[in-house]
Amino acid sequence: MTELSRNAKCVLQILETTDSLTTAEILSMAREDRFSDLCTDCAGGDTFVVAANQLVEKGLIIKKFGKGGYRWQLAEV
Amino acid sequence: MLDVREDFPVLKREINGHPLVYLDSACMALKPKQVIQAMNEYYEVFPACGGRSIHKLGEEASNAYTQAREKFRSFINAEHEEECIWTRNATESLNIVARCIDIPKDAKIVTTSLEHHSGSLPFVERAKRDGLRIEVIESKPDGTFDIEDWKKTIDNKTRIVSVVHSSNVTGTVAPIEEIVEIAHDRGALVMSDDAQYAPHHPLSMKKTDVDFSAISVHKMCGPTGMGLLYGKSEHLESMDMFLTGGDTVSDVRYENGRIIPEYLPPPEKYEAGLQNYAGAIGAGAAAEYLQRLGMHEIEKHERTLLSKVLKEFKDNEHIRIIGTDDINIKTGLCTFIVDTVDSAHDVATYLNDSYAVMIRSGAHCVHPFHYQMGISPTKGTARASFYLYNNENDVDIFLNAMWELIEASS
Repeated sequence: MTELSRNAKCVLQILETTDSLTTAEILSMAREDRFSDLCTDCAGGDTFVVAANQLVEKGLIIKKFGKGGYRWQLAEV
Repeated sequence: MLDVREDFPVLKREINGHPLVYLDSACMALKPKQVIQAMNEYYEVFPACGGRSIHKLGEEASNAYTQAREKFRSFINAEHEEECIWTRNATESLNIVARCIDIPKDAKIVTTSLEHHSGSLPFVERAKRDGLRIEVIESKPDGTFDIEDWKKTIDNKTRIVSVVHSSNVTGTVAPIEEIVEIAHDRGALVMSDDAQYAPHHPLSMKKTDVDFSAISVHKMCGPTGMGLLYGKSEHLESMDMFLTGGDTVSDVRYENGRIIPEYLPPPEKYEAGLQNYAGAIGAGAAAEYLQRLGMHEIEKHERTLLSKVLKEFKDNEHIRIIGTDDINIKTGLCTFIVDTVDSAHDVATYLNDSYAVMIRSGAHCVHPFHYQMGISPTKGTARASFYLYNNENDVDIFLNAMWELIEASS
């Protein structure tokens, strides 16, 4: 994971804690103390979401759009 | 309606088979070929130091640099070229004033809850540094102000007022001339954050009579990393320097073991070190480009497009517009919340993924206003911003994508 940004690592660590999360849920969790060392944009969230989208492109996580918006989860490997 | 799309090479791009619909100009404007060519000319024809080297390339670089400042002076209708200082961006311009203006110990600073962080934080930090009072005027939920609040808050102890002329969230245009009059009557100076106003409306320093203005060139079709600080000569001459070094001095004497500088007046006083010549030349080209098209025409064009969006949004039960819907006091942007999705980032992601429609989401570096409105920055707001190169087809694609998003997320 060394090539991943801190925000991307944060997204992965958050998604490891549960099955799937909405965008707002991920951003809220990113503000918790346990992720504070990794998250560098957990208030506004724009670059955090960019990092999440890059993880989708790398095939590490998946996102699905439906009722309420996107849900994000780890990709099955 | 303006038809300038051919001037913008990037608009020829397609992404995933979709034409690019760029609605993020409030963050970064696209660049016309006139600006790109002007900067290329510097790098290809006379890539030398301005104001230093006496050779031919140096002379041409100096001339282009000087002409760029004059083009910008004309664009903002300032009295003198020397009142126009090149900076990296509006943020730097605001920081220069906040750090360098003389503020007596018993004086106070006034700002608003609607400021971009770049308009508030430099003054918050100055107040902290010197133990000064700073008072915040709250905007109304629609981004307008009660003029009585300005009259009450600005008093004869107020040294400077930092106010955003056009909000990057609500798009509301502040009554700057009234604010300036109130401030000047009480002996206070006014720093106007024109980052969003300058690219979209006719701007005249002589008319607004502000003491300082901050402009970001990248939002007005110019290059990144370029900004402008306008300041009335009397203030620029008396203010402390921000940086010192090469190009800020007429001479540096060495006498009895001491180094004694003799500093130049503005603009050189504030332009230490080797400058971004290509950037300044690009900034001049951008100012000239917009001025040639006419700022009244650009304002009218944007408002025509925005009116259609506001009308459609007002009729939709799932969309809440943040900011005024009065088109006469609004810059060409619309910030909104969609109640069928959990986060504004979902709106931006969906529009980008599905239709190559590019908008901004988040808190737009204006967290205090979001908190004031009870909107968590993590949920944020979505913002579509329009500029001279957008057209009705862009609006139609954007609106259709929005209806599809609402249906898919309901």
